[in-house]
Amino acid sequence: MTLFDRVFSGSDAVFGLTEGAINNAIEQYGADKAVAFPNTAYSLPCYYGVTGTKVTSLAELKEALGVVKSLMTREQKLNDAFMSGIATALCAEFIEVLKYIDGAEPYSEPCYGHLADAVIRELGVPLVTGDIPGVAVILGKAPTADEAADLVKSYQAQGILVTLVGDVIDQCVEKGVNMGAGVRVIPLGKDVTSVIHVVSVAVRAALIFGNVTPGDAAGLMKYTMERVPAFVNAFAPLDDVIVACGAGAIALGFPVITNETENIFRVPKSLIVQEDVSKFNATSLEARDIKIKITKIDIPVAFASAFEGEIVRRKQMQVEFDGSRVDCFELVQTKEASEIEDHKIELIGPDFDEFEKGSKHSIAYIVEVAGKSMQSDFESVFERKFHSYMNCIEGVMHTGQRDMIRVRISDAAYEAGFRARHIGEVLYAKIKNDFDAVVDKCQVKVITDPELVTKLRHELAIPAFDKRDDRLKSLTDESVDVYYSCIMCQAFSPSHVCVVTPERLGLCGAVSWLDAKATNELEPTGPCQVITKEKLIDDRIGEYEDVNEAVRRFSNGALEEVSLYSIMEKPMTSCGCFECICGIEPFSNGVIIANREYAGMTPLGMTFPELASMTGGGVQTPGFMGHGKHFIASKKFMKAEGGIERIVWMPKDLKEQVAERLNATAKELYGIDNFTDMIGDETIAEDPETLLAFLTEKGHPALAMDPMM
Amino acid sequence: MALNGIAIFKLTPKKNCKECGCPTCMAFSMKVAQGAMTIDQCPYMSEEALATLSEASAPPMKTIKAGVKPFADNKTDSDKEYSLGGETVLFRHEKTFVNKTRYASTVCTCMDDAAVDARLASVSAVDYDRIGDRMYVEFIAVDCAEGTAPEKYAELVKKADAAGRSLILNVKDEACAKAALDVCKDKKPILNGADASNYEAMNKLATEAGVVLGVSGASVEELYDTVAALEKAGNKNLILDLGTASVKDAFANGVLIRRAALKDGDRTFGYPSLVNVGKLASGDAHMQAALAALFTMKYGSVVIVEEMTYAMALPLYGLRQNLYTDPQKAPRIEPGIYPINGADENSVCLTTVDFALTYFLVSGELERSGVPCNLLISDAGGLSVLTSWAAGKFSSGSIAKYIQEFDIENKIKNRTLIIPGKVAVLKGDLESKLPGWNIVVGPTEAVQLVKFLKDMQNA
Amino acid sequence: MPFTKKLQKFNATIRTVELGTGDKTVKLGGGNTFPFYTFDGPTANPAKIGIEISDMGLESEPDCIKAYYEGCSTVAEIAKKAASFEGVDFVVLKLEGGDPNGADKPVEDLVAVAKEVSEAIDLPLVVEGCKNVQKDADLLPKVAEALQGKNVLLLSAREEDYKNIAAAAGLAYDQLVGAESAVDINLAKQLNVLIKQLGVDLGKVVMNVGSAAAGYGFDYVISTMDRVRAAALGQADDSLLMPVITPISSETWTVKEASASEEDAPGWGPVEERGIDMEVETAVACLTCGSDAVILKHPTSIATVSKMIQALS
Repeated sequence: MTLFDRVFSGSDAVFGLTEGAINNAIEQYGADKAVAFPNTAYSLPCYYGVTGTKVTSLAELKEALGVVKSLMTREQKLNDAFMSGIATALCAEFIEVLKYIDGAEPYSEPCYGHLADAVIRELGVPLVTGDIPGVAVILGKAPTADEAADLVKSYQAQGILVTLVGDVIDQCVEKGVNMGAGVRVIPLGKDVTSVIHVVSVAVRAALIFGNVTPGDAAGLMKYTMERVPAFVNAFAPLDDVIVACGAGAIALGFPVITNETENIFRVPKSLIVQEDVSKFNATSLEARDIKIKITKIDIPVAFASAFEGEIVRRKQMQVEFDGSRVDCFELVQTKEASEIEDHKIELIGPDFDEFEKGSKHSIAYIVEVAGKSMQSDFESVFERKFHSYMNCIEGVMHTGQRDMIRVRISDAAYEAGFRARHIGEVLYAKIKNDFDAVVDKCQVKVITDPELVTKLRHELAIPAFDKRDDRLKSLTDESVDVYYSCIMCQAFSPSHVCVVTPERLGLCGAVSWLDAKATNELEPTGPCQVITKEKLIDDRIGEYEDVNEAVRRFSNGALEEVSLYSIMEKPMTSCGCFECICGIEPFSNGVIIANREYAGMTPLGMTFPELASMTGGGVQTPGFMGHGKHFIASKKFMKAEGGIERIVWMPKDLKEQVAERLNATAKELYGIDNFTDMIGDETIAEDPETLLAFLTEKGHPALAMDPMM
Repeated sequence: MALNGIAIFKLTPKKNCKECGCPTCMAFSMKVAQGAMTIDQCPYMSEEALATLSEASAPPMKTIKAGVKPFADNKTDSDKEYSLGGETVLFRHEKTFVNKTRYASTVCTCMDDAAVDARLASVSAVDYDRIGDRMYVEFIAVDCAEGTAPEKYAELVKKADAAGRSLILNVKDEACAKAALDVCKDKKPILNGADASNYEAMNKLATEAGVVLGVSGASVEELYDTVAALEKAGNKNLILDLGTASVKDAFANGVLIRRAALKDGDRTFGYPSLVNVGKLASGDAHMQAALAALFTMKYGSVVIVEEMTYAMALPLYGLRQNLYTDPQKAPRIEPGIYPINGADENSVCLTTVDFALTYFLVSGELERSGVPCNLLISDAGGLSVLTSWAAGKFSSGSIAKYIQEFDIENKIKNRTLIIPGKVAVLKGDLESKLPGWNIVVGPTEAVQLVKFLKDMQNA
Repeated sequence: MPFTKKLQKFNATIRTVELGTGDKTVKLGGGNTFPFYTFDGPTANPAKIGIEISDMGLESEPDCIKAYYEGCSTVAEIAKKAASFEGVDFVVLKLEGGDPNGADKPVEDLVAVAKEVSEAIDLPLVVEGCKNVQKDADLLPKVAEALQGKNVLLLSAREEDYKNIAAAAGLAYDQLVGAESAVDINLAKQLNVLIKQLGVDLGKVVMNVGSAAAGYGFDYVISTMDRVRAAALGQADDSLLMPVITPISSETWTVKEASASEEDAPGWGPVEERGIDMEVETAVACLTCGSDAVILKHPTSIATVSKMIQALS
């Protein structure tokens, strides 16, 4: 028998029962007898949601059954199985509504049966906000009462709403599990048909919260799939009726997890066999993509930003890990989901107890993450946060990064019970919370075994860092498909928009393309938005139709067109936070660059503040442009006007800071050695005439170039 | 259309002679593009270049000078007269508004002597400092009721003049105007009295006396025609009266005139404006306060009320100060010690940045707490806490330096310093740099300060 | 050449949001010109004024406000009186007693006060929380539930608690959502987008883009509101086309200009006059930049501002 056959068989059986029950009821009460669930404005909510028709009497119910029958097509196709599943659910609703004839109260303590609209409105808000992260439907009889109680409690601890159907209710009663809507464990009923009362919740949520029109079955299923984070845990044995109900659940987007192994067909992400009931929780959350917010970090000392600046001095130090003396490193690695057991914290090597007070040791902590939206480019973004995470721990001091870290643990923290694995707890909790948009699973390895740390440092960490550096070097404007906007500065510069590309970081110097990308991924409605670059207008100055369109939108219409690589034509605007300004120096046919720290005069006859006041404010000022320090050595630096060859002057300090990279670019692009020696500074000239004389003497290439204007 | 610096530079002699006061022709060109200098300040511009540039670089709205300042507006102010108009944008976020609204109280020949004396006394009463700016009533409007004899008007003008403020002569009668000018023309009053019926005579008086002429019209169209006629007669030293027909008309006129000048480049309307809300809401002080705020926002260069009281002035001058700040530069507070709630040398210290918005938020919450404390403001570049920290302008070094420079340790005995929660990271460093001080990390948001301080007090 | 008026026409119109029920319903927004630019086009709905009252009664009100409510002993009576003043279009009940750092009243008590007030008046009602994010997230959904059918506006859904409040008000109980952000156009935009993503109909959203007393960082308020309105009308930016409501009294009555006693500030004149003018001038400045509704508390301020709105509409 195929899975489809089982669904069809179960569906047929339920249909038969329903038909019989309705006929009996008509015989008993007459066809005009009213049928309704109490305290709902949505008639028979499931049937109403799917068809848009309200059923008020037995006669109409019978008619409705005809409609249900029409859903039960019998081709061996997925859609037929889904529709039969839905039909089975609707039949269950019909059977259940018959129980309520004449205002009967068919359910008694602890079972709830039908739930009132008011309950749904009340549950709906935390469901929408994510305060209830999921809805578990547990059905059947667990292998043991203990396993039933443990499973229910595990969900309860995560804030998940649990509904119970069948023998599992008795098992929970037996084990004294606290139940009721208030504690978010709702026993529905002993009959399998009572499962419809939780489906009814999902359907009404779609009608009330999703503004889904009754009868819009596709819209309904889309809503439940995307917005109702429900899943089913069905205990073996599964009969055909339960399989048919399961098909209905899957049609609504709710995966079914079962420990049944006989005569079952695994469907990835939808019908999952998990023999170990103790793993139902983890399997279910992964299948339904439910993430649990961590509200408390399980460590014996405080964790708060108030401790960020705390210094652990040598005297108060219990133990120190010093990357400048011994091998140490910290690393984030992306893994496959299957390679990670969420919240596993592993200590390899001796714990702090085994270290003498005040001694120095090796340490490595590797945070392994997995997630559907995780990208290895984010690893360094996460890693940069470690410094702050570690310092927020009371009694822990952290400096440096990568394999040049130093960590000190204070004696007070040690005495409070702080041990190596707590580092793992902190990193786990912070990564999961701060980056929940991209991290689904996370585990941490804390390694204090000195030989292993040394080995991993050379075999794992250093190659990983090198690979990242290579990646950064290989990132060019041409090699990526999209750029990002950054409008963090609009509070001061209303119309300014930074277009951040791999070779042109934000002009504040703080937002690289990778940063912008991560910001966008983590906060999709935030300041960094994707800008496509498909419609090139002019390759020379780097102008794109899509970039212009984005700049128009993000500047609220203040800015029409920008180029990425020119300072003369449609130059990018500047806010107020640029690290540097470059400006045209007409007498030497080049540009000068002044950085914010430089207080003196430039050969343009303007100081940095004077230049800044002319260039800032989100206004295009041809000939002048704000930019980051890092951009100076970029091959894209005023590429349209000839590139870095145009640089004729910059303050000495700045020149020294960028010399290495700038000279490398000059060598690569033009074959010039020690290009910075040709560039003037304040010790050489602060006026154009002296500068020109210097440049002439040095044979600066800008002098021979085409005039800039 | 304004020219950019590069375009202007191309027309300069490019000789870096420095005679204009700028070190280079490029610097000069950029200043002209910004409107900070005018093209004729270059002695070597060719006739041709001048012709090309002066039209293009002339501001869309003239800056008109009137009155004589009794004292400077602030430390950096060196102007002897009031500049009115000269705006280049309609909204402050586009570019800084340049010449702030000036206010006037009114005396009238219809008032008895006691009332006039009281009014003039009220004018000098409003005089205070707000974040470095001196706030006072800059003008006195002297109304000439119909049928007043010239000598009587002149007498009132003389009396008003003695109050030490600049004058606005609200007078339509030629003889009265002449008598008044004879008394006060050296103080550069505004002669607000020209309209379609008398502009020729008034023009003559104003031109001879060398004072600004106020022009009004029954409609915005009539006003336009009168201005055009005055310009044709050679007078471009004007201010436009928005009229007193109704609030709605005066507001409409104000916006239409400013918009025509700045958005549509119609230079005929490129003059500052004057509005008499004392007339628009005669006898209703609160409505005058409302209208004074309205016309400060849009777009009155001079606003006349019946009587400027402290009640009206305090919010109004604050509003004006905010409106005329540079939108790209954060307003700053002078570094110093700010005792709050009657704090003394034994009261706890808190520190934050000199960004005005932060200061107001923090000091407001501190006041609300009722706890006496000293707020220590150091020079942090006028940036918010995190920004200045990131820029290295609010660091353990800068705070320690400030404590030393301001001699805090001798002025204050208390040794507890609360730092903003957002820069908790400074704690350790500060402890080493300020031995003897107890550095406490405060809350991350100002609103949490009340509870924080109360808890600290009770602990 | 004679002067010809050039009119400024926009293709976008601010959404009209109806507050309250029955014939006292007020319409917020609906404009397609800059505020008071009647020469560009007729005023759709003149700006509205709400009067602020508190669940704490008159306890912490200045004397000049207390005087207007003589004889009122319950919040419901205060509300009734408040609704009777000239120029009042709606009543704003602040549940400041809920503040955990203040009176910390339980949610049920506050909901009961809200119900009493809503039954006592026939003007539309706006309910403002206590400003504590956690408490408001509990409180305002309960208020939304208790006042079903009244079409009240709940202030405010902020970045930290918008999910609870916007979902309860906008989805579960069919009320209006007030979206509050801190004087920044992009934060305002972002919050509106997030609220839309929850599934809330933007036609049920009114925004508070921040306020301040005149002179107290008010430059940010001006530029934020100017830019919000310019982007909404000029760019037809859907996420900014909602009406703007601006609380004034909560900002103005605590600053020293409005609160310093005559002894503490000799020469400044009567404290009541200062309070009124601070409130009036701040309100007018906000209205000029784009507020479609302002919240005040002194009856004289309300009468004055109302009169000015009429004169300019």
